Amino acid sequence: MFNKLKVGIRRKITLGYIVIILCLLASVLILNNQIISLQKERNYIIKNNSHIHAVTNCIEKYILDMESSQRGFVITGEPSYLETYYEAGEKWRSDFNELYQLFENKPTQQQKLNEIKATIEHWITTSGEPSIEFKKENKAEAIWELYKVDVGRKDMETVRAQFESLRSEVNASMQAKVNDLDKRNSIVTHTLLGILVFISVVAIIIANGISRSIVKTLTQVTQTIQEIAASKSSQKGRIHVRTNDEINDLAVATNELLDILERREWLQLNIAEIVTKYQGICAITKLAETFLSEIAQKTQSSLGAFYVRETTDNNIQFVKKAAFADARDDVGIESFKLGQGLIGQCALEKKILIYNDIPEDFRLIGTSLGEVPPKSIFIVPIIFENDVIAVVELATMTGFNEQQQRLVKQVIETFGLTINSVLGRMEIVRLLNESRAMTEELQMQSEELQAQSEELQMQTEELTVINEQLEERTNEAELKTRELEQAKRELEESAEQLLLNSNYKSEFLANMSHELRTPLNSILILSEMLAENSQSNLSDEEAEFAKVIHSSGEDLLALINDILDLSKVEAGKLDISFDEMNMSEVPVQIEQTFAPVATKKNLQFHISKEKNVTDIFFTDEKRFKQILKNLLSNAFKFTEQGSVNLEIKQLGQEQLTNNMQDLSADWLEITVTDTGIGIPKDKHQLIFESFQQADGAIVRKYGGTGLGLSICKELARLLGGWISLQSEEGQGSTFTLTIPSLPNGIEEQKYLELAIHEVGATNEVHELEEEEQLSEVQEFSQHEVEVFQGKNILIVDDDYRNIYALKNALEKRGMDILVAKDGIECLDIMQSNGGIDLILMDIMMPNLDGYETMSIIRKQLNITDLPIIALTAKAMKNDRDKSLEAGASDYISKPLNLDQLISVLRVWLVSKGS
Amino acid sequence: MDGFPLQQKMQTDLEIDLLLEAIFRLSGFDFRQYNRPSISRRISNRMRMDNIPTISHVLEKVIHENGFLEQLLNDFSINVTEMFRNPSFFNAFRREVVPYLRDYPEIRIWHAGCATGEEVFSMAILLQEEGLKDKAVIYATDMNEQVLEKAKKGVFPINKMQAYTKNYMLAGGHHAFSEYYKTDYQYAYFHPSLLKNIIFAQHNLVTDQSFNEFHIIMCRNVLIYFSSDLQNKVHYLFSESLSNNGFLCLGDKETIRFEDIIPKYKEIVGDEKIYQKIE
Repeated sequence: MFNKLKVGIRRKITLGYIVIILCLLASVLILNNQIISLQKERNYIIKNNSHIHAVTNCIEKYILDMESSQRGFVITGEPSYLETYYEAGEKWRSDFNELYQLFENKPTQQQKLNEIKATIEHWITTSGEPSIEFKKENKAEAIWELYKVDVGRKDMETVRAQFESLRSEVNASMQAKVNDLDKRNSIVTHTLLGILVFISVVAIIIANGISRSIVKTLTQVTQTIQEIAASKSSQKGRIHVRTNDEINDLAVATNELLDILERREWLQLNIAEIVTKYQGICAITKLAETFLSEIAQKTQSSLGAFYVRETTDNNIQFVKKAAFADARDDVGIESFKLGQGLIGQCALEKKILIYNDIPEDFRLIGTSLGEVPPKSIFIVPIIFENDVIAVVELATMTGFNEQQQRLVKQVIETFGLTINSVLGRMEIVRLLNESRAMTEELQMQSEELQAQSEELQMQTEELTVINEQLEERTNEAELKTRELEQAKRELEESAEQLLLNSNYKSEFLANMSHELRTPLNSILILSEMLAENSQSNLSDEEAEFAKVIHSSGEDLLALINDILDLSKVEAGKLDISFDEMNMSEVPVQIEQTFAPVATKKNLQFHISKEKNVTDIFFTDEKRFKQILKNLLSNAFKFTEQGSVNLEIKQLGQEQLTNNMQDLSADWLEITVTDTGIGIPKDKHQLIFESFQQADGAIVRKYGGTGLGLSICKELARLLGGWISLQSEEGQGSTFTLTIPSLPNGIEEQKYLELAIHEVGATNEVHELEEEEQLSEVQEFSQHEVEVFQGKNILIVDDDYRNIYALKNALEKRGMDILVAKDGIECLDIMQSNGGIDLILMDIMMPNLDGYETMSIIRKQLNITDLPIIALTAKAMKNDRDKSLEAGASDYISKPLNLDQLISVLRVWLVSKGS
Repeated sequence: MDGFPLQQKMQTDLEIDLLLEAIFRLSGFDFRQYNRPSISRRISNRMRMDNIPTISHVLEKVIHENGFLEQLLNDFSINVTEMFRNPSFFNAFRREVVPYLRDYPEIRIWHAGCATGEEVFSMAILLQEEGLKDKAVIYATDMNEQVLEKAKKGVFPINKMQAYTKNYMLAGGHHAFSEYYKTDYQYAYFHPSLLKNIIFAQHNLVTDQSFNEFHIIMCRNVLIYFSSDLQNKVHYLFSESLSNNGFLCLGDKETIRFEDIIPKYKEIVGDEKIYQKIE
C-alpha cells in the first residue's frame, strides 16, 4: 500500500480535465497555424497579383510613354520629348527585371516576358530609334517612309496582346491558387470537426475511466460491507481495496472499526456465554467448576483454581472449590489465608496480578506427552461489596493477551454478585434441607414406631395364636373324637329313623290313596251311570245330584292322584324315565287340551315355539307334560280376562351357567304367562310349598288343593330343572320352567347342586338362597364361627323378604339378629339395647329413611364407632356420597351378594386389634 | 445417642460404617448412603430384641451367623404402607392426572418402593374405576424380595380393612370397596383380576439403573430413608426415567427441593406432591 503512489480521486479528475484541455490546446494551435498559413498565402497571392498587374501596367505605360514621346519628338523635334523617351526606356527595363524576378519559378511566364521584351526591343530598334535618328538627321522622307510602313504600330499591338495574355495567365494561375486555398480551407474545416469528435471521445473515455475506477472500488466496498453485515460467523471478513485513494482510507478505517467491534463482540459474547453458563446454577462447587472451566477455555489457560472465602470462627480462609487442568486434577493448594503467598496477597490487596516471569521451578503443566512450564499466571480477586469473596488463579503456556485479560476483568465484575447470591441461596437451601430433614426424620420416626408397634403386635399376636391353637388342638382332639363318635351314632340313628319315618309316611299315603281309590272308583262309575239316567226314572234334580257326585268324585280322584304323586316324589319312589320326546308335537297337543277351556272362559290362548328349539328332546315326557298342564290349568284357573301364553324357547350357550353346562348343553325354557290375579311378592315362596295357596280367600274363590305347584316344583327338580316365578298382584304371573335335555338321565348328586336354582321369591332372596345352599355344603370353619358368634346385628329394612333372607343367612353363621322395619324402630332398639355390634341399614324406608337414621345415630346419639353398613341401590354415586355423609362406615350395593356381605361383615366385626 | 460422649459417638459411627460395608459386600444391598439416624435406630432395635451388646457383635453375627444378615436386612427395610394412603393424594390424582392419561395409548407406571403392594393395588383399583386399567402397566419394584412375594398375593390383614375402606371412600372410590375383595377370618383377598398388568420385580434404587421410560413414577415415603446425596441421585434416576410431561408422585413429607432437579418439574398439585416433568 505504501509503495503505491497515492492517486486521489481529485487528482484523477484533474488529470482527466488536463488531458482534455491539452488536446484542445493542441488542436487550437494546429488550426491556428493552418489558418495563418492560409491567410499568408492568400495575402501573398493578392499582393503578388496586384504587383504583377501594376508592374505590367507600368511597363505598358512606359512603352506607351516611349511611343508617344517618340512621336512627339518626331513631330515637333523638341528634344524634351526625347528626355521622356529615354527616361521611360530606362524605367521599363528596371520594371521588366522586377517582373522577371517575380516570375522566377515560372518558366512559361518568363518565356512570355522574354517574348514581350523581344517585341519591345524590336519596336525600339525598328521604329523608335530609327525615327528619332531620322528626325535628328531631318530625314523627313525616311520618317515618312518609316511611318508608311509603320512597323512600330504592329509591335505595339503585339506588346499589348502579349501583356494581355500574360495577365490572363497570371490571373488563371492565381485562380488556381485560390482554388487550392479553398480546398485547403475545407480540409481545415474537416480537421476541426475531426478534432472535435476526437476530443469528445477522449473526454468520454477519460470520464468513464475515472468514474469507473471510483465506482468500482466503491461498489467493492459496499459489497464487502454487505457481506460482512450478512455474515453470521464471529470472524468477519475485511474490506480489501486495491486502489490507493480516499476509498482505501475509508476501507482501512472501516476495517479498524470492524476489528474493534469484533474484539468488543468477542468480549461481550464470551462474557454472555460465561454468564449464561453459570446462570441458574445453585451450588457453589458447580458454579466454580463451570466458571473456571469456561474462563480457562476462553483464556486458553492450562491450569486454573478457584477459591471461595469461607469464614469460620472469625477465621477467613479461601478454600478451593474447583480446579482446571488439561491433564491433571490435583491443581492448586487446598486453601490459603489472606496474605499467604501471591494469591493471598492478591486477595489482601484486592488487585489483579499478572506475572509473566515465572520461576523455573514453578509447577509444570502436564500433558499426556510431557510437562511444560507455564509462561504466565494471572490471579484475579472477585470482589463483592468491597470484599474479596473469591479468587481465581489461571496459568497458561502462551501468555494472556490484552483481550483475554479484559475478558477476565469484565467477567468478574458481575461474578461477585452471582457468587454471593449462590452462597446465599445455598445457605437458604441448607436451612431448608435441615428443616426438611427434620420433617422427614419425624415422619420416619413415626413410621418406624408404627412399624415397630406393628411388628410387636404381629409377634405377640402370632405367639398368642400359636399358644391358643396348641391348647385348643389338644382339647379339641379329645373332644372331637368323643363328639364324632357320638355324632356318628346319633346320625346313624336319626338317619334310620328318618328313613323309617319317611317310608312310613309315603307307604301310608300310597296305601291310603290306593285304598281310597277302590271305593272311589265304584262311586265314580255308579254316579256316572246314575247321571246318565238311562232308564229315566230319576227326576232332573236327582240326575243333577248324581252329576255333582261324579264331578266331586273326579276332583277327589285328582286330589288323591296328586297326593300319591307327591308322596312318591318325597319318598323317592316316583319313577322318572328319560326318553326321546318330540317337541314339535307339544304345541298341538297342548292346543287340543286347552283350546276348549280358553273358549269357554273367553280367553285368548297363544302357543309359540321358537324355531331353534330342537325337535328331539330327552326328558320324561309324561312328567314334562304334567308340569305344563298343571301350570296352564293354574293360569286358566286364575285368569278371568285377557290371555294365557305359552312360549317355548331354547336357551343360548351364553345364558348357561357352569353348573348348567355340566349337566347338559341343551336347555329349554318354557314360559307360561297369564293376565290373571297375580301373586303378591311375599307369597311367591309360599305357593310352592305343599297344601299352600296365596290366602284363604283364594281357596274359597278358586278352590284347589294347593298341591299342584309343589308337585310341579318337585317334578321339575327330578327332570333336572326348576321353576321360577315372576308375578305382581293384579298384573298376572309368569311361571318359567327351565329343563335340560338329558339323554342319559341324571345322577343323584346333581340334584343337590341344581337345588340352588330353585325358585326364589325375588332376585335378592334368590341369590341369597343360592349362596346359602352353597355355603351349607361347605363347613363353616372354626374361626368363622368365632368372628360371627354371638354378634348382635340390627337389620333395618322395610322389606320383609330381605329381612327374612338376611336373617336366615346370618343366623346360620351364629349371629343374633334384631330387626327394625324403619328408622324410628331402629332408634328405639338402639336406645333399649346397647349391645349391638353392627347395623345393616336400608336407605329407602318409610317414616325415617336410612340417611336420617344414620345422622341421628352419629350426631344425636353420638355413637361414632358402631359400624353401619348402608345398603344402597347400585350405580347411584349420589346415594353413596349421601350415605357416607350421613355417617355410614361402608356401603354395599343391592342386590346383595351374600359373599360380599359376609366379607364386609368380617371386616367390620373383626376387632381392630386382633 | 446425643448424650454419648464424643469419643463414643465416633466409635459408633465407625462401627456402623463397618457394619454397612460388610452388609454391602455380603449382600449387595447398599445402606451406606441411607439416613444414618434411621439406620442406627434400626440396628439398636435389633440389638435390643436379640440382646446384642455392641454393634461390633452385630457385625460378627452378620458375617458368621446364618440367616442373621437376612434378618437384619429385613429390619432395615421398613414397609409401612396402607391402601389409599393419604386419600387426598389419590383424589388429586383422579382429578388432575387421570384426565391427561385418557389420551395416552398406553400408560407405564413405575411404583418404586412398593413394599407389600397396598398402594399398587390402590392404584390398580383407581385405574380400573377410571377405565384405564387395560392400557396401563404397573411396574412395582422394591429391593426386598420378601415383601414383593407378599405383594404379589394381594392378601392383606383383615383388621386393616376398616381403615382402608375409609381411605378408599375418602379417595373418591366409585364403588363399594367390598366389591374388590373376599375375606376369611384373617385376611382380605383382593380380586386376582387386579393383578393383571402389574409386574412385580426386585429393583434397588441405590444400585440399579432405570429400566424403561415411564409416564408416571410413584415413590412415596421411600426417599425419606436416604441421605440427601442419595436422594439427589435417585431424583436424577427418576427424571431420566420419566417421559416428557410424565408425572412424579412423592410422599406428603417429601419434596423435590434439589437445586438441579427443580427446574425439570412443575407442580401439578403442590400439597399432594404431584409434579410434572417439563421439556
